[in-house]
Amino acid sequence: MADLTLKAAPILGGVDMKRGDCHLVERDDLALVSIAVPLGKKTALAKALTSRFDLNMPDAQNSTTAGNYRLIQTTPDQMMLIFAHPTPDADEVVQKALSGAGYTTDQTDAWVCLELSGTGCLAALERLCPLDLDQSVFPDNAAKRTTMEHMGAIAIRLASDRFLLLSAASSAGSFLHALETSIDYTTP
Amino acid sequence: MSARIPGGQIDRNKPLNFTWNGKKMQGFQGDTLASALIASGVKLVGRSFKYHRPRGIFSAGSEEPNALVQLRKGAAQEPNTRATVAELFEGLEATSQNHRGSLENDFLAVNDLFSRFLSAGFYYKTFMWPKAFWEKIYEPAIRAAAGLGRLSMDADPDVYDHGFLHCDLLIIGAGPTGLAAALEAGRAGARVILADEDFRPGGRLNAETFEVADKPGATWAAEAAAELATLDNVRLMTRTTVYGAYDHGVYGALERKTDHLPSANGKPRQVLWRVYSKRALLCAGATERSIAFGNNDRPGVMLSGAVRTYVNRYGATPGQKVAVFTNNDDGWRTAEDLQAKGVEIAAVIDTRTGVDRRLEGVRVETGVSVVDTKGRKGLTQIILSNGITIACDCLAVSGGWSPNVHLTCHQRGRPEWRDDLAAFVPGDDLPVGMSVAGAANGAMTLSQALAAGQQGAVAALKDLGQKAPKPKAIPCSDEGFAITPFWHATASKARAWVDLQNDVTSKDIKQSEAEGFRSVELLKRYTTLGMATDQGKTANVLGLAVLAEAAGKSIPETGTTIFRPPYSPVPIGAFAGRARGKDFRPFRLTPSHKWAKENGATFVEVGMWLRAQWFARPGEKGWRDSVDREVEMTRGSVGICDVTTLGKIDIQGRDAAEFLNRVYANAFAKLPVGKVRYGLMLREDGVCYDDGTTARLSETHFVMTTTTANAVTVFRNMEFARQCLWPDLDVHLISTTDGWAQFAVAGPNSRALMSKVVDDLDLSNEAFPFMACAECTVFGGTPARLFRISFSGEMAYEIAVPARFGDAMIRALMKAGEEFNAVPYGTEALGVMRIEKGHFAGNELTGQTSALMLGLGGMVSKKKDSIGSKMSERAGMNEADEMRLMGFRPVDRSVLLQAGAHFLTKGDPEDMAHDQGWMTSVAYSPELGHSVGLGFLKRGPDRMGEIIRAFDPVRGKDTLVEVCSVHHIDPEGGRQRG
Repeated sequence: MADLTLKAAPILGGVDMKRGDCHLVERDDLALVSIAVPLGKKTALAKALTSRFDLNMPDAQNSTTAGNYRLIQTTPDQMMLIFAHPTPDADEVVQKALSGAGYTTDQTDAWVCLELSGTGCLAALERLCPLDLDQSVFPDNAAKRTTMEHMGAIAIRLASDRFLLLSAASSAGSFLHALETSIDYTTP
Repeated sequence: MSARIPGGQIDRNKPLNFTWNGKKMQGFQGDTLASALIASGVKLVGRSFKYHRPRGIFSAGSEEPNALVQLRKGAAQEPNTRATVAELFEGLEATSQNHRGSLENDFLAVNDLFSRFLSAGFYYKTFMWPKAFWEKIYEPAIRAAAGLGRLSMDADPDVYDHGFLHCDLLIIGAGPTGLAAALEAGRAGARVILADEDFRPGGRLNAETFEVADKPGATWAAEAAAELATLDNVRLMTRTTVYGAYDHGVYGALERKTDHLPSANGKPRQVLWRVYSKRALLCAGATERSIAFGNNDRPGVMLSGAVRTYVNRYGATPGQKVAVFTNNDDGWRTAEDLQAKGVEIAAVIDTRTGVDRRLEGVRVETGVSVVDTKGRKGLTQIILSNGITIACDCLAVSGGWSPNVHLTCHQRGRPEWRDDLAAFVPGDDLPVGMSVAGAANGAMTLSQALAAGQQGAVAALKDLGQKAPKPKAIPCSDEGFAITPFWHATASKARAWVDLQNDVTSKDIKQSEAEGFRSVELLKRYTTLGMATDQGKTANVLGLAVLAEAAGKSIPETGTTIFRPPYSPVPIGAFAGRARGKDFRPFRLTPSHKWAKENGATFVEVGMWLRAQWFARPGEKGWRDSVDREVEMTRGSVGICDVTTLGKIDIQGRDAAEFLNRVYANAFAKLPVGKVRYGLMLREDGVCYDDGTTARLSETHFVMTTTTANAVTVFRNMEFARQCLWPDLDVHLISTTDGWAQFAVAGPNSRALMSKVVDDLDLSNEAFPFMACAECTVFGGTPARLFRISFSGEMAYEIAVPARFGDAMIRALMKAGEEFNAVPYGTEALGVMRIEKGHFAGNELTGQTSALMLGLGGMVSKKKDSIGSKMSERAGMNEADEMRLMGFRPVDRSVLLQAGAHFLTKGDPEDMAHDQGWMTSVAYSPELGHSVGLGFLKRGPDRMGEIIRAFDPVRGKDTLVEVCSVHHIDPEGGRQRG
């Protein structure tokens, strides 16, 4: 049917809210591709990542970045590549670049990405996040897994008062509600 | 009459109006409700629990047993609020509790006359006869009389929150010890949290007239707090009770955010914090004890330190003529402080002999005790053991001080007795990372407290490998500490109270011992000593001493009970935090949720998912109308159902096929690319626990589906297998359940509809047969995956698109389906169709179901090993008369079958010994026009056509049913393969 083409919609309708000293915005411009390390082929994958994306392999606590790309470790033999990419072919793009050096799976639609920033963001996050958010143990570019209000989440520190938060797409509404409530509760 | 005296830390420029039992009164900013009542000359604040005796304010802290009030009105009303810690605010309304009639004239005061019959454990010996009276007469009467205070019965109108904090050093208590510790650690740059339950840091410094660093102790405390507030690495939390010591240095803390304000304005009333500390220093101070003597519970009998607190901190005197009764040096300070403020001291009674301390103009009696008091609604007189009577309206009692060891015992540590202090101090078995300093550790003087705080902080920091300079001693005025134990005036004839809140007397304790309840654990539970909301903070040690004496043992031999969190009461709402109502757990929504809402869906909770159950159309009277219609139209033309919730697991790797061969009972290694296969999964013990379909997209790439309910379990089990059982296999898993919006399109017109939807793919039966799969595009280029599988039994497809297109997809599908009268169908219609078809689902997987029972015994391949395969061969799972899944239809077609009914052979007795199985799933079949069912029946396949009973005594039904094939419709499967 040529007269009907499907339009993509951001999970949270592109939420962008400012309240008190916090700014919360949906980052639906980002694509996520999971890359699994083939057994025994870690070196080859590391080479492919540096040569194609200029990226080093991340460790369990910190992401690596190069230009538009960020790589975080999700499990001991799995990573997630995060980069701005508007079309639903992110997996193909990465698979092509790696030429089979890693097993790739598109994860863009499985996660909701929210950026929380502002001088009030730590006060809001400490209501939700069991992790120690002090700069000394959670520096810029640190990427850690945790749970917030019963939802699994990945927290990446972009700057001293800026975090990228990832959580499951199906519970995005509840995740947003948890963040909004935290901001509300810590704003006089 | 006003009992205000000059001085104190109240702000007399900020008067506050409040109401007590309907009477308008005034206090000041900085008052508690208790101090404002004392300043207003109020003596009587409540009635005791059992005997309804008049009671007054006893202490000045969270240990208060008597002054429990109902605070606020309406939904926010909270019973059992301790007036001694309730901060006064403008418009505060408080009422007394536990009386019938007025506080002054309580009808239930008659209980006191029957005190002989209401002693310890009386309820174990009464209310037994006649038996019939218990439920209708005794129990309601007891229920009405029991408890302290009344709930509003409305939902809690406040919101509460949780939070997480991390620190190097958690300092519990901001008295002199805690403040000294925080200054050391804070200045050294450590991450410090300093918490205190009071609204003003300083602890006893705010109540005493000691000097620290050449200034009043309270001033020093305020300056220390101000300095700490300037340090970024220090978090000073007032109004915060650290209520529990948990594992690994984790502490629970309750921060009261708005209890001191007229309104919370929609913000959290309290925040429950989980504090992760590397080290903790307990500086919780000590709580004063009373002495047991006759009628020692009258309004006006108070703890001596508390009397000082009211006079020094709150500028209010509890009496115009105050007597002091003490067994230690500390009681004398009350007489000195009060005299300095111009309050008349009636006498000082010191139980110790050879005490030559004196106070000018004050009568002193030594070597004697108080044995009785007079003054029912307010003390008027005390009677000594030597016969002397002394007129007074307040008696300040000092029985010694008990270190607040509670948190050291929260992990079953036991405290140790020290004879020189006549008190328990922390034992050796402390929670990990905790140390204790100051009075909480038995260091009872101010100079000891300050030094201990400094040393404790330095030691903790050194332990963490952090630098801490040698502390400079903080000078202070001081006094020694000497006590001679005197627990109770045995000369008293009248009842002597030990636990004021639960109305437990020394007589009760002796009775408990005499009746054989001798262990301290039994004493507690038999007498209820220490079991009230104050947890016996002022009573426990006194009670132990009385028990020890009655048993002829020493106090350490008698032992203590276990302290458990919370240290002081925590509202259930605070524990719940945000987990209330709709926010109790997260919701998972499907990509078509918004569209479903717009189209009249009724939703059902499936785990955390909301799934459309059916889509009501205008004019339909009930769910049967909707569901029957959805089934008819799907089987008659085409229906669309959102099946996103079923687990999708992306499986890749060189050894993915081998991995699947090991986790599924049936063969998977040779599944061709482009094909889907049904898979049965067994637990390690051979029991079936999930089924699904797995598609092969390439040599190394599979996509598995699971049931909705088991998505997480299957993933977890497979990860365990991957990581722990076969780490030599190259196989990788990731969940893609949320990433793909997936829709079932089912019915005779499904191919026609899909041909409009899918771009450039030959969907003929030859090119794309049953169980085929392909990556394709839909609606002019949107990437998609197409699977030809069927749960309904009709010709069917499942089409998946990235979830960002899910909303657009359902709308486009429905639009494209208009020409076929396509209907959306929900989980109910889905259920009807699978039951008609004979597909098993969750109802049939009971946790004891074997493949054999499902008629799939042959599916457990013996050509390869797989999880559960071996165990499924056990004799117990392969009996000759094994239960087998069969179909059932009612003999009388008009009858509706009931799931849960048990099968009985006609003529057999109705008991479990003759049980033949049970009905697992039932549905009304629109196609057949009658109810159909599935169920497990012994030797089922041998009994086709037999008429048996479906017996349901719980719902009073007994139905004759015919045993038939599970495939109620289309047994050959022609529809789905066409």
